[in-house]
Amino acid sequence: MTAICVNDLVKKYKNGVQALDGLTLTVKEGEIFSLLGQNGAGKSTLINVLTTYLRPTSGNVTMFGKNAYREAAEIRSKISCVAQRTSIDTHLSLKENMIFQSKLYKVPKSESGKRMEMLISCFGLEKYLKYPVSSYSGGVKRRLDIALNLMSNPKVLFLDEPTVGMDIQSRMVMWDMVKKIRNDFGTTIFLTTHYLEEADQLSDTICIMKNGKEVIQGSPKALREYLRQDMLKISFSVKKDAENCFGPLKEAIALKESDLRHDKIITSLKNGRSDLEKTTRWLLEHGIPFLGIEIVQPTLEDVFISLTGENGKEAS
Amino acid sequence: MDILTLLHRDIKWRFHNAFTIVITILQPMLWLVLYSAVAGQSMKGIGIANYTAFVLPGLIVLVSFGACSSSGIMNYLMKADGSFYRILIAPVKRSSIVLGQVLEAVVCTFIEVIIMCIVSLFFSVTIATGFTGVFLIALLVFLTAFFISGLTYAISLCLPNEVIYETVMNAIVLPIFFLSTALFPADGLYGGLKIAINLNPFTHVINVLRALILQGNIVVRDVVFVVLLLVVMCGISFSWALHRLKKETAL
Ligand SMILES: Nc1ncnc2c1ncn2[C@@H]1O[C@H](COP(=O)(O)OP(=O)(O)O)[C@@H](O)[C@H]1O
Ligand SMILES: [Mg+2]
Repeated sequence: MTAICVNDLVKKYKNGVQALDGLTLTVKEGEIFSLLGQNGAGKSTLINVLTTYLRPTSGNVTMFGKNAYREAAEIRSKISCVAQRTSIDTHLSLKENMIFQSKLYKVPKSESGKRMEMLISCFGLEKYLKYPVSSYSGGVKRRLDIALNLMSNPKVLFLDEPTVGMDIQSRMVMWDMVKKIRNDFGTTIFLTTHYLEEADQLSDTICIMKNGKEVIQGSPKALREYLRQDMLKISFSVKKDAENCFGPLKEAIALKESDLRHDKIITSLKNGRSDLEKTTRWLLEHGIPFLGIEIVQPTLEDVFISLTGENGKEAS
Repeated sequence: MDILTLLHRDIKWRFHNAFTIVITILQPMLWLVLYSAVAGQSMKGIGIANYTAFVLPGLIVLVSFGACSSSGIMNYLMKADGSFYRILIAPVKRSSIVLGQVLEAVVCTFIEVIIMCIVSLFFSVTIATGFTGVFLIALLVFLTAFFISGLTYAISLCLPNEVIYETVMNAIVLPIFFLSTALFPADGLYGGLKIAINLNPFTHVINVLRALILQGNIVVRDVVFVVLLLVVMCGISFSWALHRLKKETAL
């Protein structure tokens, strides 16, 4: 079943910035959906429209068959959102924060007590109960933020960049947590990220967006050729060397115009190691002054380039 | 129901930041004690028997301003580090959000006014109109605090940060206080000053409060006029606050 359906959504801020530019996407019920895009792509704006915070300029958003703006009141009780910045009252204790949330969503008292205990243990928050919330570290605050947003048992949980600024260990713990929420509570999860591997590891469906518009939507498997494609990277000391090499090298191995990036040549590998060996031999035989050659995983920028064929990086 | 939930949270904020009660009551309390001791003697000459009772109404208005100003600060704190935005996507009416916070300021005002009144007892202040007078005073305090806190709520959402907010509030409160009958009767005044003081709605609130405290008879016409005036002002300030809150999400 479809949980969220966004059609040709446009959001233009009053200051003139057009953050969403005809975006279309579909989220299925019970899935983990990742919205992947760079800073400024419009991810938070989209979340704000979906969570009924902002009014769309035009286009259509339906959630469980209800219009997100006209029937906002009905949708609000079914969703919750962990914003990019944590939203916890530091003058309340951990439990008071959770109870406050459950009262806002009119969860019956008999239910909220049990749910609170369960969420506290599920998110490993027991040992923080006796300390004031203002003393918590960023990671613990974020966990509490997620836990309290689950008090109302939402059908959709929005997570705006849940792992931004975390080290890799904490991120992996967070990934497990997100999967656990989906598996244990059946919550549909809509998250945003600018980490490629996060979207790849975590989601059932990925939507890649750029400049307020979706570029492609599909399962990690379907997008595999973009997300996990090995890339060959040749570095030069100056831009000029890269340009000089590009022409002749293009004859030797197939290169696209967009593979030349400032002082580097980055291209997708067709034949793995043998391409690496072939290219290295060619570089050495022709006495090309290069700094290094290696196989790397694609960055989000590489994915955009291979999807759109444009070289997005400015030549600085 | 929602209102009570929010009011409860805001009251907890107040008790967590109890120093705001102390700070906002400190100045009016000093006025009360100092003026009673120092100015009381000289005022006897112009026919004011108990100067403490005379200044109490003005100080009640002053204390309302203090309590309600600090309630506006709450918006800045909740935005920076709190649930301000989370509440806006919860299934709660915008009007309940404003009302919860406005009522908290009213509660805080009452706490401070009661403290002021208790201290006044030590300066032999009595309410001449008795029980009815006390009830009417409570009604006027409620409406005054409701109006001011609606105002501070709206102002706090208009201004970018708490420093500017504090500056603006100070710039508003002192002229309103001095251009009223808070410290002296308006009888001997004339010209522009008299007009300015009469245009100040708080002059009329203070006059009625003063009459209820000092004079044995209740002038129904004056009381009704001031209550109606305050009800209209409450309506305006609450609508403005609600309008500002709705504008928060109209980006
Ligand atoms: N409140 C706002 N008013 C005006 N412009 C905004 C506002 N919030 C974001 N923007 C602009 O909208 C664009 C998209 O921002 P955002 O949705 O925050 O992107 P992301 O979350 O993907 O980093 C950016 O150019 C940003 O400057
Ligand atoms: Mg963002």
